[in-house]
Amino acid sequence: MAMASVANGKALELVGPLPRQLLIRAPTTLALAVALAGAAALALAVGAMPIDLADLFKDEARLQRMVFAEVRAPRVVLAGFVGAALALSGATLQGLFRNPLADPGLIGVSSGAALGAVAMIVLGGAVALPSVLTPFALPLAAVVGAMLVTLFLYAFASRYGQFSIVTIVLVGIAVNALAGVGIGAFQYMSDDAQLRTLTFWMMGSFGRANWPAVAPAALMVAIAGLPLFFVARGLDLLQLGESEAYHLGIEVKRLKRRIVLCSAAAVGAGVALAGMIGFVGLVVPHLVRLVIGAGHRFVLPCAALLGAALTILADLLARTAAAPAEIPVSLVTSAIGAPFFLWLIARARPR
Amino acid sequence: MTLCAHDVSLRLGANKVLDGVSVAVAPGSFAALVGPNGAGKSSLLRVLSGDLVPSGGGVTLEGEPLALFGSRDLAQLRSVMGQSATIAFDFYVEEVLAMGWLGSALAYRQALRDVVRRCALDGLLGRRFNTLSGGESQRVQFARALLQIWHGGCGAPPAAPRYLLLDEPTASLDINHELALLRLAHQACERNIGVLAVLHDLNLAARFADRVTLLDGGGIVADGVPDSVLTAERLSRVYATPVRVENHPGLERLVVYT
Repeated sequence: MAMASVANGKALELVGPLPRQLLIRAPTTLALAVALAGAAALALAVGAMPIDLADLFKDEARLQRMVFAEVRAPRVVLAGFVGAALALSGATLQGLFRNPLADPGLIGVSSGAALGAVAMIVLGGAVALPSVLTPFALPLAAVVGAMLVTLFLYAFASRYGQFSIVTIVLVGIAVNALAGVGIGAFQYMSDDAQLRTLTFWMMGSFGRANWPAVAPAALMVAIAGLPLFFVARGLDLLQLGESEAYHLGIEVKRLKRRIVLCSAAAVGAGVALAGMIGFVGLVVPHLVRLVIGAGHRFVLPCAALLGAALTILADLLARTAAAPAEIPVSLVTSAIGAPFFLWLIARARPR
Repeated sequence: MTLCAHDVSLRLGANKVLDGVSVAVAPGSFAALVGPNGAGKSSLLRVLSGDLVPSGGGVTLEGEPLALFGSRDLAQLRSVMGQSATIAFDFYVEEVLAMGWLGSALAYRQALRDVVRRCALDGLLGRRFNTLSGGESQRVQFARALLQIWHGGCGAPPAAPRYLLLDEPTASLDINHELALLRLAHQACERNIGVLAVLHDLNLAARFADRVTLLDGGGIVADGVPDSVLTAERLSRVYATPVRVENHPGLERLVVYT
């Protein structure tokens, strides 16, 4: 069925001027797409070995070509997909919980994913998987962990009333602590080889990106993320309240199931490869809303684009700022995100 | 051709909120639910809207059990204005109104213009919903509910019977706007819409409703035209306070006061 178009500026001239924020939504989306392309090009070109993208196909650039295809490209693709997944699921979770502080990292969804991945690293040897599925084992385990946490949060919120704006962060602390207990227990159980894998994995970085690992995760992020672009109207209506959304024709249960499933899958697949990268899911949707308003039809694609672009740039900063050493990318995102988070809390206090 | 509750009972926990209630809303008519606090008015409205599933009896729409309608089909045939709605994010009034539109994007412009003009919301369209006063946001929510069933739904003939359910639509409105809103609801009847409103003000019920249902303690005390239902003796008993009812000769309508 056709959706009401509020994007159509002409439709509204007849009843008064449209707020500026609503008028710049389509141009902003386009600008973000260009910005993402620019960020990706920059990140592909800059690094320990500078690559001139224009000269890439000349004969003497064989080494550059190899670095580009085997090192730089998978890393940029991974950062882009993970950033898009975190921002997109942050935006949808904020809509689902009707809470601007919902963020996959803060409310424990990312730690749930980490717990799932750690469990797979330590116990995985005991489960015999067909070799086709091996590349998917870690992401799948992370997805299951993320999903369990989201379902738990939703059940908890339905049972004990809607989370107030700040309560969700308190519940997140508890969930993060519980996941920490689980991760600690698995570390204790692990043997030396597993512990080394664990430690490297937990540091979280895009540095170990290679196509055999990136491709399955990117595929999972894409499959999980795509349906989220189609829940925009449902998310808008959900902001009026669950009964109101139902009155307006939304199958609320189905909508919630889809959001929980897809956002957890997107986050889980991202965490499985890059570890926990904080605050992207919190900061990006807010920046987007500040510019173009709250309507999800534009917030969701803009958040995905901006999330991808910012994460690619954060990773670029992480690997060039202290070259030849690399600083963890989550250090960069948290340095930007944590102060922003404080500002949000100050703003979210009861008016 | 009605929205009917048949012998509806509703239990919420240990409380029996509704007990054997039957009401019918006919398209083109205005029905009011009145009664003291806790009488079950809002619960009955929520049962009729499909929010609550009755523990006994049932609801039918055009003779079909309500449960057989998908939420999407139902949304084309009835809209609901709840008691209050807060929105977590900063939507503009125009976006909130658009949420009520289920029809084609092409017809949206005309319908929005019609509804906004009628509801006199021109000045509010570009405001953020969360900055509105209680009364203003109530008027916006009413307009949204009206927009939802403004046309007869997709595919249905233009004058398909539709229903507008209002839960205390005038709770935060000044006397000017409460009259304006109920007039609009009354005019909606001409579009083959059946209106059911929970009202606290008995004068407004007497003035606008074709039919008044007086509820108390989860059951129906009286049901019929305002003159027959709103009698001094009955209202004094139900509200446990002396109530006087007069036919005002100048206004030519029923006046209820304490």
